Amino acid sequence: MKKAIVSVLLATTLLTSGLSVMADEGDTIKIGALFNLTGGQASIDTPSYQGFKLKADEINAAGGINGRMIEVVSYDGKTDQATCANNAKKMIDVDDCVVVSGFSDSNYALAAGAITQDKQVPFVITGATLPDLCEQIGDYSFMVPFGDDTCAYAAAEYAYAEIGTKCYMMIDQSMEFTKTLAECFQERFEELGGEIVGTDNYMNGDPDFSAQIDKFINNDGGAEFMFFSSVPNDAGPLVLQYRDKGVELPIVSGDGFDTPLVAEVAGAKSYDVFVSTHCSYTNEAENVQNFVKAYTDAYGTAPENAFAALGYDAMDLIGQALATVEDPTDTAAIKDAIEATSDFKGVTGTISYSAESHKPDKTASILELVDGEFQFVTEE
Amino acid sequence: MSFNYILGQLINGIKLGSIYAIIAIGYSMVYGILRLINFAHGDLLTVGVYTMLVLMGFSGLPIWLVILAGCIVSIMVGMTMERLVYRPLRGSGEETTLISSLAVSVFLQNLISMIFTPQKKAFHLPDFLTVNHSLGPVSLSTINILTMISIVVILIALTLLLKKTKIGMAMRACSDNLAASQLMGIKINNVVVVAFVIGSGLAALTGVMLAGEYKTIEPLMGFVPGLKAFCAAVLGGIGSLNGAVLGGFIIGIAEVLFAGLMPSDITPYRDAFIFFLLIVVLLVKPNGILGSSEGGRS
Repeated sequence: MKKAIVSVLLATTLLTSGLSVMADEGDTIKIGALFNLTGGQASIDTPSYQGFKLKADEINAAGGINGRMIEVVSYDGKTDQATCANNAKKMIDVDDCVVVSGFSDSNYALAAGAITQDKQVPFVITGATLPDLCEQIGDYSFMVPFGDDTCAYAAAEYAYAEIGTKCYMMIDQSMEFTKTLAECFQERFEELGGEIVGTDNYMNGDPDFSAQIDKFINNDGGAEFMFFSSVPNDAGPLVLQYRDKGVELPIVSGDGFDTPLVAEVAGAKSYDVFVSTHCSYTNEAENVQNFVKAYTDAYGTAPENAFAALGYDAMDLIGQALATVEDPTDTAAIKDAIEATSDFKGVTGTISYSAESHKPDKTASILELVDGEFQFVTEE
Repeated sequence: MSFNYILGQLINGIKLGSIYAIIAIGYSMVYGILRLINFAHGDLLTVGVYTMLVLMGFSGLPIWLVILAGCIVSIMVGMTMERLVYRPLRGSGEETTLISSLAVSVFLQNLISMIFTPQKKAFHLPDFLTVNHSLGPVSLSTINILTMISIVVILIALTLLLKKTKIGMAMRACSDNLAASQLMGIKINNVVVVAFVIGSGLAALTGVMLAGEYKTIEPLMGFVPGLKAFCAAVLGGIGSLNGAVLGGFIIGIAEVLFAGLMPSDITPYRDAFIFFLLIVVLLVKPNGILGSSEGGRS
């Protein structure tokens, strides 16, 4: 008897809780935000998440999408692939998200992508840049940024034209992103006639570069500048430790170096640092300046790096696609709507997708670190 | 490959090794008495450093006071950890305490992440501590020199403590045989607390050195140095202070020489090399280089 009562009670609780969830679904559109808010990716993923949230709040403040509010569901990926994949699964299975979005590095995007593709839920990647990322994941994935090839080619072309023809490379061997970036840079730099005079390696998270630096000083091969293929959390310590040991060559890198940590950590020693990245906030264009203002008002700090704008653009793009869909629970229709995106004007450039390519054809901005601020140099 | 190059790399290794050595001393004391592999030991370092970061925000505080306060907070956290987690679990087996210490470690890391955000932060000590002094090919910062000096001071002080004082004698007794010591009327709790106080204080002190050297801090910064210090303590012979210091230097130097002398294709695997080295040493000398036999322990 007791058992029966308990099971009846349990059943009613389950039923009513199920009902309340269903009632919620009618009102909001749930979008999963997959970001690494702790660990090595945090300094680029956090701004990206904030940009993403900002746009969602703006959409809601303007009345939502066809009258429905957006609800951003977020779990910390902890810079751990297994956690990232689990989060994606939870967002789709438990929270019923119709679109997921996020990640600034391909390792994590690939981990989550396996799940989203399997469940046939659109995955809008905010900042991961592996050139063939969408081909690897499948037709439900879309990239908001350009590929590493674009980023590295721009860096190589600028460096060859303006800085020097002999380059020494320092590569983080633990990341797909840093390896691809270095390969693409080397490919274009040598194509142009430049020479890689030496290469050294390290692992992400190892704080000590003293051995590699002494090795470089002992035999620099006549390098005229250095290319650091690094993720954000190593960027500051790399610059600082090389400068501390008296290496004064210009430093070139990709979007992994687009972080305020370089200037914060290296201080006055962060000179002659050139970065190839997604956009420049010193760009006078109206939508860029509007974004900078909105972000600053919301978070009390200017956008930390280009990933903030990428997150913002991702949510904007998802919102515009959702607005054209009749049933916002039909993930296949949402995927088609995103794929139909054409001439979308974002803060980070113009995005068009086609059935053949889910990677936009954008340009890269070259920035130079001047007195602790990234200044726009040129667009490649 | 000049002499100066090798010398420079050796100095890099000694700098790194001195940091591992100090953490290893604390590790070794706690392990020596409780046979507790405390994974949270490295996180006490992080606690200390973040306390100092907060205090450095108040301009005008002298740096020695900031460092002292960091050590005190770290000691208090270490004592709390012992009282709340390890004391209730004492006698329940090494596996239980080992897993619990992992939990404490995760807890501390996440607590710091929640309070201070997980982002790396810049950590700048006053210039007089980080300025480099050059002596021929050798270049050391003030804090490097202070680290070396403090190792000697700490070793002498702890050796005196262990050999000449009552509590030191009690600590050695507990290290030999915890149960028998208790039967002989030694207040084990006091002994354990002293070991934790010393270990936590030293961890916070190492935090200054680590953060001063790399000028950045993050919530997970203590974990890997903690692991390597544990390796150092095991390598040198657990329970032996000299062994912990020796192990610290061996690991620091081996790590840097591996990265500096090997072809650049395999240099990223320096951590793997260190752990491999540990396995090899333990195969040859299971009690570590200066360790005594475990036979008498019950």
